[in-house]
Amino acid sequence: MQSNSKPPVLALDGITKSFPGVRALKGVSFDVAPGEVHALLGENGAGKSTLIKIMSGVHTADTGTIKLDGREIAMTGPHEARRAGIATIYQELLLFPELTVAENVFMGHAPRTKWGALDWPAMRAKAQVLLDSLDIHDLDVAQVVGTLSVGNRQRVEILRALSQDARILIMDEPTAALTEHDVQRLFAIVRRLRERGVSIVYISHRLEEIFILADRVTVLRDGEHVATKAVKDTDNADLVQMMVGRRIESLFPKIDVPIGAPVLEVRDLVRMPQTRGMSLTVRAGEIVGLAGLVGSGRSELAQTIFGVTPAQSGEILIGGQKVSVRSVADARRLGIAYVPEDRGIQGLVRPMTVRENASLAVLSDVSRHGFIQRETEEKLANAAVRQFGIRTAGIEQIVNKLSGGNQQKIVLGKWLATKPKVLILDEPTRGIDVGAKAEIHRMMGELAGQGLAILMISSELPEVLGMSDRVLTVREGRIVAEFSRAEATQERVAEAMMGGTSHESSAA
Amino acid sequence: MSATIAQAPARKWRFSLSQEWLLLIGIATLFIVVGLINPRFVASRNLQSILLANAYVAVAAIGMSVVIVSGNIDISVGSLIGVLASISGALAVAGVPVFFAWAIPVVISILVMMLQGALVAYLRIPSIVVTLGMLSILKGGLISVTNGVWISGMPDSFHLAQWHLLDLFIAAEPGKQAAVPESLSALKPMFDLLTMPVLFMLFLTLGAAWWMRNTAKGRSVYAVGGNAEAARLCGIPRERTLMMVFAVHGLFTGLAAVLFATQPSVIQSTVPPNLELTIITASVVGGVSILGGTGTVIGSTLAAILIAAIGSALIFVNISPYWLRAAQGILILVTVLADIYRRRQRGLAR
Amino acid sequence: MSATEARAPKRLPLAPHEIVLVVILAIALAVLATLSDRFFTLDNLLNQGRLMTEVGLIAMPMTFVIVTGGIDLSVGSTMGLCAILLGYSWKNFGFPLELAIVFALLVGTVAGFINGWFITRLKVPPLIMTISTLALYRGLAEGISQAHSVRGYPEGFYLLGQGEVWGVPTQLWLLVVAIVIFAVILARTTFGRSLYAIGYNETGARFSGLPVDRIKLAIYTASGLMAGLAAWIFVSRVSTTRSDMGTGIELDVIAAVVLGGTSIFGGVGTIAGTVLGLLLIQLLKDGLALTGVKGDATIVVIGAVLILSILITNFAQRRREQGR
Repeated sequence: MQSNSKPPVLALDGITKSFPGVRALKGVSFDVAPGEVHALLGENGAGKSTLIKIMSGVHTADTGTIKLDGREIAMTGPHEARRAGIATIYQELLLFPELTVAENVFMGHAPRTKWGALDWPAMRAKAQVLLDSLDIHDLDVAQVVGTLSVGNRQRVEILRALSQDARILIMDEPTAALTEHDVQRLFAIVRRLRERGVSIVYISHRLEEIFILADRVTVLRDGEHVATKAVKDTDNADLVQMMVGRRIESLFPKIDVPIGAPVLEVRDLVRMPQTRGMSLTVRAGEIVGLAGLVGSGRSELAQTIFGVTPAQSGEILIGGQKVSVRSVADARRLGIAYVPEDRGIQGLVRPMTVRENASLAVLSDVSRHGFIQRETEEKLANAAVRQFGIRTAGIEQIVNKLSGGNQQKIVLGKWLATKPKVLILDEPTRGIDVGAKAEIHRMMGELAGQGLAILMISSELPEVLGMSDRVLTVREGRIVAEFSRAEATQERVAEAMMGGTSHESSAA
Repeated sequence: MSATIAQAPARKWRFSLSQEWLLLIGIATLFIVVGLINPRFVASRNLQSILLANAYVAVAAIGMSVVIVSGNIDISVGSLIGVLASISGALAVAGVPVFFAWAIPVVISILVMMLQGALVAYLRIPSIVVTLGMLSILKGGLISVTNGVWISGMPDSFHLAQWHLLDLFIAAEPGKQAAVPESLSALKPMFDLLTMPVLFMLFLTLGAAWWMRNTAKGRSVYAVGGNAEAARLCGIPRERTLMMVFAVHGLFTGLAAVLFATQPSVIQSTVPPNLELTIITASVVGGVSILGGTGTVIGSTLAAILIAAIGSALIFVNISPYWLRAAQGILILVTVLADIYRRRQRGLAR
Repeated sequence: MSATEARAPKRLPLAPHEIVLVVILAIALAVLATLSDRFFTLDNLLNQGRLMTEVGLIAMPMTFVIVTGGIDLSVGSTMGLCAILLGYSWKNFGFPLELAIVFALLVGTVAGFINGWFITRLKVPPLIMTISTLALYRGLAEGISQAHSVRGYPEGFYLLGQGEVWGVPTQLWLLVVAIVIFAVILARTTFGRSLYAIGYNETGARFSGLPVDRIKLAIYTASGLMAGLAAWIFVSRVSTTRSDMGTGIELDVIAAVVLGGTSIFGGVGTIAGTVLGLLLIQLLKDGLALTGVKGDATIVVIGAVLILSILITNFAQRRREQGR
């Protein structure tokens, strides 16, 4: 890459940062060249977020230097970072839902009239110019942000960064919540920015994105700098090994198990507007992958089967028996379990302890006449900690303090305690590190081996293809295609998801 | 993406049914209907007394709206108005120049509110708890300081309602009936309506609305109320913004207290019961979301007028005024339900 | 990563806030007892118990409501409405007094149910819903009574409010029973656990299969019922019925609950804390009055104590977090 020869815009050298009890960064160096996409990789807890928070002025480094255009600068707050042209797009989009696109873009630095009042027409016009410069034509600057899709909200954030003349854009897992289509548009925008000379620090758990987009990649592990390499000099296995410090045999250890009788059958299930007549069958020991764009109705289907949003028409059969699921309590009684997409909000009550979370879905099992039996509850929680290898100081630990992977294991444990026949997993490995991901995949294989029927929703095609016995694709509230494990290839499934229209190829 | 396409008609709809227009329509309908039943309701004397007696509620509701937009609430405001009115009256009776009898309570109000703001902003105690504590302190303080004695005998010039715009033009001496020139006599009814407190209400409402809409400081209130974390990253610190919000609230509360104190010839040691409730009602009915981040002060002033007009209308259609509070309750409920319905239509889930 | 996971917080027998309260209460008692010899007498203390029963009864379900992250501002108005309907139905409808009492309790229950129904079904924020019924229920009380009061109840009616059973004010027995029941429910049962879960994360509770809406409906209904019960006791204690009864009691109740350490954001709180808050407020009021502070000035102290106790807890928590 020619960019390697240019002097870096931003260079961090020997950065150390400690928090009470933890050394988050130990002498890390990192730099970005102009017009470069530099990927930052590492497991959760490796120090990525601390590093980007230092770059964006949220944290101050204990030692080390930060140089901008070769000159050392003191980064004392978000204000300095912004003045230096560094903008950050966080995972949780930070917008004002009640305000318009234009105002969101210019909040804090809006154009003024000569009297010092806000210049609304200029604000709208400038926002429009920015939109046009990125070829975004389906966004109105006068729209209220709260009504926008996630993809469009992210574009508003990017516009905001550009409106401040950002030269360095830090993107923290920008594709985590995006639909495949929005991911492609994001890639196009990133490429366009790179052409303009904007440097991008790109953080993602999805390795394939790094090969598509990035010029260089830096890997962190346990707060230390492992390596910085040109992307063309590395490969998937190499990156994973650097991240976890060991070789992982296979990311997707699906074991073949005998497949039994149908456990869950869904016929013409309707819940407007997102579920418009879906039918599917999952058999004992089978893992069925449900692929589809975000917004295609995948999670909505799961939540309808699970009773969060009860069906308006159609049938659900469990073990061949027609059942009625009007509430989550119904679903639980019938042996349906759902590990939701949003772990922090839907899956757990994070300020509560491991024990309290582990028993939350089975309170009636750990109580007698409505009184909670503390010993039974503790036994249950301890069993879950042991069975899933949850790394915690004990069952009285507040869940919030655990890593994403351990939190996900608690959600899994909480629902497996209901002794389900059907397990629906919605994005089971989103935002968790490679090691924990492999563990969850291994557990899925084991559970299928024990005869559980598993329906897995995932935005990561490699995961869907690697783990599933069958793959169903969902589009616009309907199931549009079915592939056996042998038939399912990345191209065919993706094409079915998109509806056959050709999009720009995802392969670089 | 589908949301984008569905959005276009929704915006038009929203414009056509903004809270301010709804309230205007409501006020107009009320005056027409009740006016038809009993024409004395729309006589200028009655209009004048409705506006005069409630201008202070509208002014206090401006400050309250700013506080609610910022994502907070203040339930101490009614007691504070009572305390400030007593202070103002006591100063006037003690012979302090009238201007200071007006200004000192305003300064005290700003300081008290900034103290509450500091507890909310820097110590992160929820505003409902802080203002609940302050409510007790002020209420107890008021009664123990005044001993429940009413204050009377303020100088004539103290009473703002006696100041007419026309007097300012024609005679320097307030309260005295000056000869009105021919050319202005046609406008006299209008000037009668625009007593000093009402003018205050109008200018303060328009000024605050302009400030909220068109200045960076005003928008920062919406930013902090909408998403404090996002605001911080835009360089808008939550703490300083909330201090400003409470200072502004203090300013309007102080002005409201002066308007309240200068209107009757006797200042009671108690304010109308549940005054803070009426003020919050005006804000909420005016379209300020209790969740923060949205709403305007024009709406809250219109709502204050509507609430006052309903109270007056009950008398004119021979309904016992004891039903007024029930009508207020239904009014808030209807507003809130309508708002929830509209948000669902717009896909704004909150 | 492992460092943050390593230490589990040590659980103290009482929450830090409750310890602060016990200390404040002990100091206040000691000071007040030395200032007035009438303060620390059994008669006085029992009488204070009588006076705090209405606030106490309403504070029980209020603790539940606030633990779920909600609030009920309408309790005072519900109390006024129930009191009016008790007197009105007895005097004007000719209901037997027993029926009038049942009717009043029923009205309270329905009033609470209406709050709960709007909050759970139509998703009206609790603050707004109960502000509007605060106005509505008081308005109904005023409208129905037209400011007329009802007096002249038969002698037996006053047993509850003014009488004694085994030497203890009758209503105090009711309060004690209520405290025990509510405390056990909150601390020991699945219902109590569900309240905490809802308070911390309502969506998470819903996705765990907890009947969130039914639980919320139940606690707001209970809040109305207890307000009705408080109305009955209040009427019996003061021998008359007026439409302004219970005005502002919601603030006393919330002050006691919040002073007791229940977080207005939900998820945190105990009945023990609420009882401590109630005792502290009532005894301070009484003690100050006995030492010659004028009646209404005592609420100044209560406001100050409310803010102070929360400040102290805040600082204590911050210190502990920094220490880790």
